[in-house]
Amino acid sequence: MSSRSTASPPKRVLAVARKELLDTFRDRRTMLVTMLPALIAGPIILLLMFSLIANQIDKVRELKLPTVGKERAPALVAFLERQQVTLTIAPDDYEAKIRGGDVNVVLVVDDKYESDVADGKAGTIRLIYDRSRDRARAAILEVESLLHAYNRQWGSQRLLLRGVAPTVGNPLNIESVDLATPQQSGAIMLFFIAYYGLFAAIMGGMAIALDVTAGERERMSLEPLLMTPAKAWELVTGKWLAVVAFNAAVVIITLTGYYLTLRFAPLPAVGVPFLFSARELAWFLVVLVPLIALLPAVMLFMGARSRTFKEAQASVSLVIFVVSIIPIVQLVQQKKDPDWIAWVPVSGQFSLLGQVLRGESIPLVQIAASFAVPLVLTICVLLLVTRMLSRESILAGK
Amino acid sequence: MIRIDGVTKSFGKRGEIHAVREVSFMVPDGQITGLLGPNGAGKTTLLRMLATLIVPDAGSASIGGLDVVRERYAVRENIGVLSDARGLYPRLTARENIRYFGTLHGQSGIELEGRIAMLIRTLGLDELADRRTQGFSQGEKMKVAIARALVHDPATVLLDEPTNGLDIMSVRALREQLRQLRGEGKCLLFSSHVMQEVAALCDRIVILGAGQVVAMGTATELIAQSGAATLEDAFVSLLGTGEGLAA
Repeated sequence: MSSRSTASPPKRVLAVARKELLDTFRDRRTMLVTMLPALIAGPIILLLMFSLIANQIDKVRELKLPTVGKERAPALVAFLERQQVTLTIAPDDYEAKIRGGDVNVVLVVDDKYESDVADGKAGTIRLIYDRSRDRARAAILEVESLLHAYNRQWGSQRLLLRGVAPTVGNPLNIESVDLATPQQSGAIMLFFIAYYGLFAAIMGGMAIALDVTAGERERMSLEPLLMTPAKAWELVTGKWLAVVAFNAAVVIITLTGYYLTLRFAPLPAVGVPFLFSARELAWFLVVLVPLIALLPAVMLFMGARSRTFKEAQASVSLVIFVVSIIPIVQLVQQKKDPDWIAWVPVSGQFSLLGQVLRGESIPLVQIAASFAVPLVLTICVLLLVTRMLSRESILAGK
Repeated sequence: MIRIDGVTKSFGKRGEIHAVREVSFMVPDGQITGLLGPNGAGKTTLLRMLATLIVPDAGSASIGGLDVVRERYAVRENIGVLSDARGLYPRLTARENIRYFGTLHGQSGIELEGRIAMLIRTLGLDELADRRTQGFSQGEKMKVAIARALVHDPATVLLDEPTNGLDIMSVRALREQLRQLRGEGKCLLFSSHVMQEVAALCDRIVILGAGQVVAMGTATELIAQSGAATLEDAFVSLLGTGEGLAA
């Protein structure tokens, strides 16, 4: 019997983790399907969203207003043109076109407008539109507010001519104060970034987690492994560390993609200056730590229960479905999340990611709450996997 | 030295499947002992108990004086097992496969690399050593699995049906390797359902049937004991006619 120094548990744990990572990096297909989406998700989604928003804003900015009888109201025409509105002659069948969605809104100057104004009566301007059309709504509001502004301006001038202060006719001074900070606009965009960050943490470690458990059983390398002096908990911890490292890498790459795209890509200027700076990036990583630890443990558990990689994939897809639908439910509910949500895994993280993106400060208590349950669960699940690997029945399946 | 004393193991919900029943025998050092028996005789179960993977319901077993239940981790440091399951990691090279197990056995550095190089040389794996095991033939995979089982230079070697699926060249290479280990004074226990295999290699034979030891001794002793003319006849008559014989 040769004498040799027995390896310390940490050494064996690291040996397992190192081997599993090396094995995964050699697996070109897994690397491709895991890393590629992580790399390109940010740029592609942001470009799509930005051009969508830019498109809608352009529609409002370059307001084209088809008119009927604009020659009857030259002062109004001059006012609108000063406001960058392009006035055109409306086609004869404009009502049909509005119903069909080809034209957003048409301005009609009444036949008797000139005579009414000359007689000191109110002139009639008619706006024709179909309010049920979402895309037309911005243009309708814009034209309406321009007409109201013209109305006020004209009235004030008349009062001044008569030596009356304009406030007599406009006793109310309406000031709008929008409480949305710049970050609060573009809510959908925020949802996408938070959702994608969350999704990366959920999906990132899947392939490797199943390979090191169900894959190990399928290719019959688990039994030799269990006959080494490495204890079951050392194997499980090593495998978990490898999956966590990989998962964290996927999350970091995904989020860095968003960060770099927002910072350096020539995105269209859309006036939605929400922030995803280095600060948000760092907060995202902190918030996602519990999931980066928990999901690999759950996947290892599902993998260890299954005899083949395929069997494992089937059971994991159910977990992924449930977990990824939670944020959508939260979004659809449109309610403010209650404080206790921080305690709930996945929901808590999603809620916190939203808070980070809205630029709100996050109390340390909430972070602690969001860490507590997932970390306890992680330890429990890992203990469960260790027990499974120690059971004799793990050898039964081939 | 392996001591097996009244070892029993049952499976099934109520333990109704008696895989191994009160088996007792000894395996001396410096010899190859063959565990011969038809399929389902309990060979794999017995070897798995010795390899500390499963725990006997009754009886005890020790390897090199270490109890396979109470001192299982110490036992694992002193045994090398070529089990039925000899899956390799296809994306790792032969050398990396062997190195991983060496590391788990607490080896490292020059000592480990030297040991791996020596095994690669004696098993004739030189040209394959730094290729991924993905496309290896059965025989090549078996050689890597042997190297993996021997990387920590164990005093006791357990082999479960090691010749399954191998061509004759690989079988001869394996025999050569086992004889060399015997020369080094190792304790070798080798299971097979192929009688010729056992006859060609083993110093002593233990015949297992329906979970029990039916007979044991050298080939000559077994023939004398059964009164048959050849070892094959001895094997059949010792097991009785009821036993399905898959030689």
